[in-house]
Amino acid sequence: MLIYENRKAKLLNIFKIGINPFKKFVATGEIKEELGFVTSRKELTESIIDIIENNKNIILPIIGEVGAGKTHLFWNLKKKLHNHNTFYISLENYRKFYYSLYSEYIEELGVGFLRSIANELCNKWGALERKFGFFHVADIEKVRETAFEQISKNFEDKIALNDIINAITAHQLDPYKKLEAENWLLGELMDFRDLAHLNLLYDLRKKSYAFTMLKITIENSKLGSVLFIDDFEKIISLMKKSEEGSEEIFDPSYLYGSEGSTLDNRAAQKILDKILNLQKIRSIKIIITLNSIDSLEEIKRKIQEKDKKLLLLFKNPLFLSNFEENDIFEFYKKNMKNFLKSVNYLEFMEEYPDSYFPLNEKTLRNINDKVNGNPREILKLLIKIFNEIIYSDESLENIIHSYEN
Amino acid sequence: MEIMTDNNIVLFDYLNNTKINGEFNGSIISKFKEYVNYLIFSDNIKISEDDGIQISQGLMVGFERDVNKHLAFSKKDDFIWRDLENCPLEYSILVPSVIMEQYDEGQFSDAFPFTITMLHTAGLYQKEPDGLYVDHLDFFQGEILRNPVGLFNRGICIADRVVIDHRGDPVFYDSILVGRNENDILEVSYEPLVNVKMDYDVVRFIIILGIENLKE
Repeated sequence: MLIYENRKAKLLNIFKIGINPFKKFVATGEIKEELGFVTSRKELTESIIDIIENNKNIILPIIGEVGAGKTHLFWNLKKKLHNHNTFYISLENYRKFYYSLYSEYIEELGVGFLRSIANELCNKWGALERKFGFFHVADIEKVRETAFEQISKNFEDKIALNDIINAITAHQLDPYKKLEAENWLLGELMDFRDLAHLNLLYDLRKKSYAFTMLKITIENSKLGSVLFIDDFEKIISLMKKSEEGSEEIFDPSYLYGSEGSTLDNRAAQKILDKILNLQKIRSIKIIITLNSIDSLEEIKRKIQEKDKKLLLLFKNPLFLSNFEENDIFEFYKKNMKNFLKSVNYLEFMEEYPDSYFPLNEKTLRNINDKVNGNPREILKLLIKIFNEIIYSDESLENIIHSYEN
Repeated sequence: MEIMTDNNIVLFDYLNNTKINGEFNGSIISKFKEYVNYLIFSDNIKISEDDGIQISQGLMVGFERDVNKHLAFSKKDDFIWRDLENCPLEYSILVPSVIMEQYDEGQFSDAFPFTITMLHTAGLYQKEPDGLYVDHLDFFQGEILRNPVGLFNRGICIADRVVIDHRGDPVFYDSILVGRNENDILEVSYEPLVNVKMDYDVVRFIIILGIENLKE
């Protein structure tokens, strides 16, 4: 019978196996962040939600320094925006922009919802018309004609729209083409034979097709759509790269034209145009994250050169500040709780609810002061300290003491 | 135009002396009296004291005798019976929209690419008191047939599809059932699945409607 257990020693032994409770210091759009925001950031989250829920087409800039938790904000919003499909895109990979965007959107939406949207569209286009009061004898050609008549005025590329209507109606009304049509709608790459079977010209890699499909699905989804574009100043850096010029012996302008029109610059211009073009999609809300207000001003200048009216879409920026004085304690506790849950050792927290073991209040406060409350830097330091606890032969007291000053 | 409620679905019932005057639109099933056993599916019906019962462009379904054979048919036509005393209709019933919505959902909830859709209306089974005239159940064993209509001793079954199981019994999927209860009151219900035992001898006929006849 176990009469007494040294729970602190047991926790240290768990660490010594090699498990660091603080693992990654950079959030990404791909790996889900389980940890919620600290209390001081709740107000910011609520303001964002309020803006998203009470506006139609907007661009909302969020400004925060590097490591402040802008990407983490995406996961937090995704959890809180129940009435929206919130999807993430990074400008790191800007090739096939609309296609990537559509793929991200469909991943967020799920195939079930895509089917339901296709079903409702066909319903609107008269596919469920009952003959003699009971029988659905869908005349696909008639449904297609009705669809084109109903929605074509809202779309620029009529060929793309025609093919999309063909794919949606084939998916719902032609059981022999349903599978291929679903693959097409999911954005899968199709070969010539599959396209010919569906009587379509291109798959969704074609820019105008992906955009039209995005517009149709977003505008007909019952939930709102929030596009989260992380590190938006990537666009400026791409533009600047070429404007600043380089000290190369070989001048690329001999081959690729003058400065300001290099490949990156042109790509950046195009991507900005494509993002601004998204405003043609009814009710899409875009959140952009930036490191500084200067970057925002610069982006606004670039947009002003294109079309002044687009500036009206911009909401006042919101600021994601670093941790306040006491946030580090809440952050540490939440992380530790997650860790203890994962190793099935929550009893420790029940026995020591106010403890910061193996660290202490002084160490945590010191860490916070050292990095001015920057969450990423705090995480880096915590990872370092815990690595020392796990792998070093030094006693715990000595390790903690070295971080207290 | 009458405002219908879910309870107010029987528009005409010869047996219970029910007649609601008015012009109705929706999903309406009308059944002839026993001696004819035809059914009419329509999206409209007009009932009035002066003009009797009028159905415009309804689909009449049943079996007709052709020399020695019994052939299933479906015909689009206008129907007018001014004299209600001698009207051949037994009842006309409007299927509530809630049931029709369930029926619609059942049709689109799944894809059955290997369903057989007949081009022309054909009889799958027919049994009269004087004998069995048509029985192709064994021939279609294991197959899925679209747009079946069944007439039973006390009711009608209209379904999205019927499957003939390994015992040769028809299983109707996504079905609307219309029939009389033990008090001879007409009722309508939606059943996702109706399993019919042929041994119980309740089926009068099963007709598979042809797509060409529906499109006409």
